[in-house]
Amino acid sequence: MIRNALIGLMLFILGSAFLTLTMGFEPATELNRTAAYYATHAQEEVGAQNVVTAVLITWRGLDTLGEVTVLFLTAAIVSLVLSRSKAPKGASGSGFLPSGELLTTGTKMLLPLIALLGAYVMANGHLTPGGGFQGGAILASGALLMLLADPSRRFGHKIIHRVESASGLAFVGLGLLGMLFAGGFLDNKLLPLGQFGALFSAGIIPIVSVLIGLKVGAEFASILESLEETEDA
Amino acid sequence: MAQVSLLIGFTLILLGLYGALTNRDILRMIVSFTIADAGVNVVLVSVGYMAHRTAPILDSAVPAGQAAARIIDPVPQVLVLTAIVIGLGVTALMLAYAYRLFRLRGSLDISQFMDLKW
Amino acid sequence: MVSSILILAIGLGTAFGLGLLNRRRAVLALGLTLGALGLMAAMAVGWLIVLAQGAAPVEIYTAGAEPPFAINLRMGLMEAGAITLITLTGLLAVLALRTALTRMGRGSMAVVLVLIMALSGLVMTRDVFNLFVFLELMAISTGGLALLSKDIRAIAAGFKYLIISQLVTILLLVGIIFTYHATGSLNIDDIPETAMGFSGLGLALFLILIAVVLELKPFPANGWALDVYTAAHPGFSAVFSAASGTAMLVVADKLVKAAGPDWFAMFTLLGLISFIGANIVALRQDNDRRLLGYSSVGQLGLLLAVIGQQDVLGEGYLYVAGGLVLSHAVAKAGLFWMSIMVKARGLSDWAAIRVRPPLVIAFATFLAMLTGLPPFPGFYAKWELAQVLATTDRLPILAAILIGTLIEAVYLFRWFGMAMKRETDTPLGPKQIDCMVVLITLAAAFGLGALWGDLSENGNLFATVPMLAALFFLALEPMPAKLKNGLAIMALVYWFAAHAGVYDPMRLIFLLVMILGGAVILLASFNEDGRRVGFYPPAMLMYAGLALLLEAQSTFEFFAAWEVMTLGSYFLILRGKQSEPHALSYMIFSLGGAFVLLSGFALAADGVTPFPLSALSLVPEQVAPWVFALLAVGFMTKTASVGVHIWLPGAHAEAETDVSPMVSGILLKAGLYGLVVLLLAMGRQSLHGVDLVNVLAWIGAISAFVGAVLAVFQEDAKRLLAYSSISQMGYALFGLALMNHLGWLLAVMFVINHYVYKSMLFLAVGGVYKRTHTKLMYKMGGLITLMPFTFVSVLVGIIAMSGVPPLSGFGGRWIFYNAILETDLRLPLVLIFMSGPVGFLYLFRLIHTIFLGQLKDENHQIKEAPIWLLVPQMIFVAFLIGFAIVPGLVLQRVDRFLGTVFGDQPLIWHGRAVESAFGNWNPVAIMVVIVVIFVTLFGILIAKNHDAVKVKQFNIVFSAERPYRPETTHFAWNFFAPYRRAMGFMEMPLVTRFWGGVSEALSGTAEFTRKLYSGNGQTYAVQVILFVVTVYLIALGGVA
Repeated sequence: MIRNALIGLMLFILGSAFLTLTMGFEPATELNRTAAYYATHAQEEVGAQNVVTAVLITWRGLDTLGEVTVLFLTAAIVSLVLSRSKAPKGASGSGFLPSGELLTTGTKMLLPLIALLGAYVMANGHLTPGGGFQGGAILASGALLMLLADPSRRFGHKIIHRVESASGLAFVGLGLLGMLFAGGFLDNKLLPLGQFGALFSAGIIPIVSVLIGLKVGAEFASILESLEETEDA
Repeated sequence: MAQVSLLIGFTLILLGLYGALTNRDILRMIVSFTIADAGVNVVLVSVGYMAHRTAPILDSAVPAGQAAARIIDPVPQVLVLTAIVIGLGVTALMLAYAYRLFRLRGSLDISQFMDLKW
Repeated sequence: MVSSILILAIGLGTAFGLGLLNRRRAVLALGLTLGALGLMAAMAVGWLIVLAQGAAPVEIYTAGAEPPFAINLRMGLMEAGAITLITLTGLLAVLALRTALTRMGRGSMAVVLVLIMALSGLVMTRDVFNLFVFLELMAISTGGLALLSKDIRAIAAGFKYLIISQLVTILLLVGIIFTYHATGSLNIDDIPETAMGFSGLGLALFLILIAVVLELKPFPANGWALDVYTAAHPGFSAVFSAASGTAMLVVADKLVKAAGPDWFAMFTLLGLISFIGANIVALRQDNDRRLLGYSSVGQLGLLLAVIGQQDVLGEGYLYVAGGLVLSHAVAKAGLFWMSIMVKARGLSDWAAIRVRPPLVIAFATFLAMLTGLPPFPGFYAKWELAQVLATTDRLPILAAILIGTLIEAVYLFRWFGMAMKRETDTPLGPKQIDCMVVLITLAAAFGLGALWGDLSENGNLFATVPMLAALFFLALEPMPAKLKNGLAIMALVYWFAAHAGVYDPMRLIFLLVMILGGAVILLASFNEDGRRVGFYPPAMLMYAGLALLLEAQSTFEFFAAWEVMTLGSYFLILRGKQSEPHALSYMIFSLGGAFVLLSGFALAADGVTPFPLSALSLVPEQVAPWVFALLAVGFMTKTASVGVHIWLPGAHAEAETDVSPMVSGILLKAGLYGLVVLLLAMGRQSLHGVDLVNVLAWIGAISAFVGAVLAVFQEDAKRLLAYSSISQMGYALFGLALMNHLGWLLAVMFVINHYVYKSMLFLAVGGVYKRTHTKLMYKMGGLITLMPFTFVSVLVGIIAMSGVPPLSGFGGRWIFYNAILETDLRLPLVLIFMSGPVGFLYLFRLIHTIFLGQLKDENHQIKEAPIWLLVPQMIFVAFLIGFAIVPGLVLQRVDRFLGTVFGDQPLIWHGRAVESAFGNWNPVAIMVVIVVIFVTLFGILIAKNHDAVKVKQFNIVFSAERPYRPETTHFAWNFFAPYRRAMGFMEMPLVTRFWGGVSEALSGTAEFTRKLYSGNGQTYAVQVILFVVTVYLIALGGVA
């Protein structure tokens, strides 16, 4: 009780700090110089309609690479954490009852659609809201659906790892090519910017988006699979 | 408007922290942290919000020439995207750890894992 | 140079690429990982070389845009150094972790690569949010790598770590977004200098900075980090401590630089609390890895404080911070890697490393490095730091740093003592690669020491002949002891011969005693067979220190020599069988004394580098008394003046037979030499109206008296000699403090005499101990016939020492009486007079109890002491007699020299006789008279010998009853019981009790404080928040 009160008091003080931040906060009325630069240069320098994607993949590309790496790390570590506590053979997935007609059939129907949507979101990241992460997450939801429908199912480990590695390597490779042939690491102008607003435009953004999408999908699938393999309830 | 959402964000952070610090169940702690993370994300986007402006997408509605006057700050959105992904990674990792801890002791009470001290 | 972003790209690319390998090709994957890390390290080294040669820092832009619109990186000297350290640590860590990594597969290797990449990124990036991303990468990979350990507790530790990193994330992100809002940029270089504030940028920066501080594991909000250190694989803990710590320090540095000098105070305060707090708690720690964890926390705290002091460090900042970081990182990594081979976790289980001498050297090196001893970078850095802090009147900070360092030294050297002296059941698990990793780290330690010395404006210890000679003896270790001994003697004699001609008479006396005297004592070491591993390097290190001490022209050289000497003698003393606690207390007192010296020198120099010793006389009036007091206290710690004497008896008595004379006969003189230098330069000083020189005289007199009284009650012959040293040094101190010609001459006499007879007596008693296997005098008796040569040397020794005619002790007394008659210090004078007869009491026992009386039954078979122990003793006997007859040979020159100092000439030399204002002294005449009396008396006694009645040893007692402990009835047991009744109160261990109280209090605090670390991850989280809130309130309080 005392402990909770102490925690309450501490959080109250922290809250008062937050409160002063809020009270002192004045929403901007003009874009600050960074944002203004992005708004005015998105078209000519990056060629992406979606400024968020332009910033994410080009100007703050290093962050994004790091972000992908976070997922990669998480997948690797989750697999390390869980590989050491695999459930005894037979207790895992295979012993479960089938998940029922509705789910199985529904999955079969939905999967292609999900894959299509995922691909679309990935490829159009520079034009519309969306991008590699969103698309990858959609793809992974397909994988989740598959696992739900058939718990004993195994994805090809090899394929997942290959996709994961290859897309990651390609991302780094594109960055390095940018250093060699354009203005710096992950410079977008490695490829021509193309026509503003077209699908094949905005330099390497669509490629990077697809790579990110593949990587994110693969990482999620790998995490899901690691989690699934421990199923022993 | 921005202040309201800021307050909501901060409240979520404090609620999440309170939950994480008072619940001894590891899963509840993890859930509390996701609430706090969500609060942080709300704070991030709130800071980028600007009244009477639109999303930072330069389509026919917002021609590139007027962008600077029409769109909201894209940077917080970029940051929040990254923060979400990172938060997700950490949460997944914590869950995996929680599983391992559960297999170790058959319990998810954090006070069960005090072998290392002093 | 290639772009440094490649360092990141290679790490990341390889991490991704490992997934393409076949799952079973673990060895190939390991090779690739090593290759990638090697490549990263090579690039970092390349950059380091380029930048160290003066190239300008390089900005690396990404995405073809300029900052702040795109993320940029910077590669400067600091960055290159940090990345070199990080990548090389990573490389060696992978070697150390090879088994665990191959067991866990390529995924774990990818995690290592990402971690090293992320740390390099943290160092280089100039963008706050990018910083956050790398920080998360670091946190996640740390959480994962904690699992490499086979210790299942590591899982809980990893989870606790993740909880805390969640908290850090929240604080950091809130801070970042509000900083962005305030500045319109995410670039660190766009953050304007801002003070802590209630809202806006000030508060946002507070959140960012406190988050970074939390990543540096500040005491007391650091239980989670300690758990990681304890449970993780030590191969990884090395990275966690050395590489991650360094990266976070760089981050803290660049952020606080941007935020401005208003934050420096916060960093300093938090750093110092962490440094001292963690070190105190570590005092009670008995798990090696957790101990290293505490030490890491402490060192990071120290560095945080140094970051906070960069406003005064100015251009020296990189040198100081770099020296401390490298010392910490290299030593800590080396120790963690060594702990892989030590299979049990207790501190004394490190005894296992004794089977491998190179590992012992590595252990000693790393500990010395952590403590900031020469010749390692931390030493130069500490010196520089002390100079600056003293110059800018930040003495409390300096004091806090030195106290923290001292506490750290306590547990580190206690650990070393345990490893050297205790036994363990768990054998070493030495693998060649692990050894190699440790030895590479060791080489790095020495390389860095040489580099830092080279960069120092005060001179490089590695460039001095004595130091190189000492290191050379490290290489000679596999040779037989006799060969090494011969070389050592040759080296000392050579050094003496090379310098005898150039020194002034005062220094010449010390050179004679310390170097040539050292060579004579080393003759006794011919007695040892085999290789005698671990003797010559420390011995030569000690002699190197002494040689350098006499060579020293500047305060830096003096202090460096002082520390070298201390280090060498510590290892030497530790060799004794029972010396573990005594060597430790010697080390602690010596280091404490050295730190007092350091403060004194720093205060005196006032920023002048290098500061010549002779310039001590020019120290401005308002600080001069303080400088004097500090230096005097430092030197008196070495001469074991009363109050700081408790280390001496144990250290001298428990040392090996040939070590005791070195540390007693020679080492104590270093303190006197210091006092001579000090008094010559600074003369009389008074503080608040108290004449400090008179205080010295008082301390000297009390030491002389108390030391003598304590010696009287000893049963252990070596302890008796040790206590008598306290007394003798008291005399010498008193003589110096008289500040007149004759007083100084007296001190010089004591320097020579004390060396001769103390060395001689220690060797003699050592010889007896070798034969009887006891140092307790009442267990001896009647050895006169069995050990006649030893008897002669003891007899001559005590005659000389007690100051009766005809030997040189009398000369000392004669000068002494002349000297005190010239001063008006009546009260201490009485004490000094009284300690003369008390001295008789104990000296008498040496002859009486050991050599006279009846032989014990078990001693009938013993032989004379080994010849090599006798050789130096006989040399001393000859010298004493010669010195008694012609004291002028040495003294006259010193006398003339003192005449130039004091401007008078109270002694008049007529051939062999001397005349003073109060009388004259003719050594030859005295000798003749005494010999005549002696021969006459001896003749009478021999003539009367047939009247003597032989009595059986215990016959009086046995006639009545059988005593429970027969030895207590021996006449020599508790010989001075009546005196004990009269003067026993002086034996009350007041001083011991005082220092015992200090150590009790510290360890009680440690025991109490460490209960904070309950082991509960949630509690740790509460502590972290509490820490943040407290700092917030205090910082606000500071603002308001």
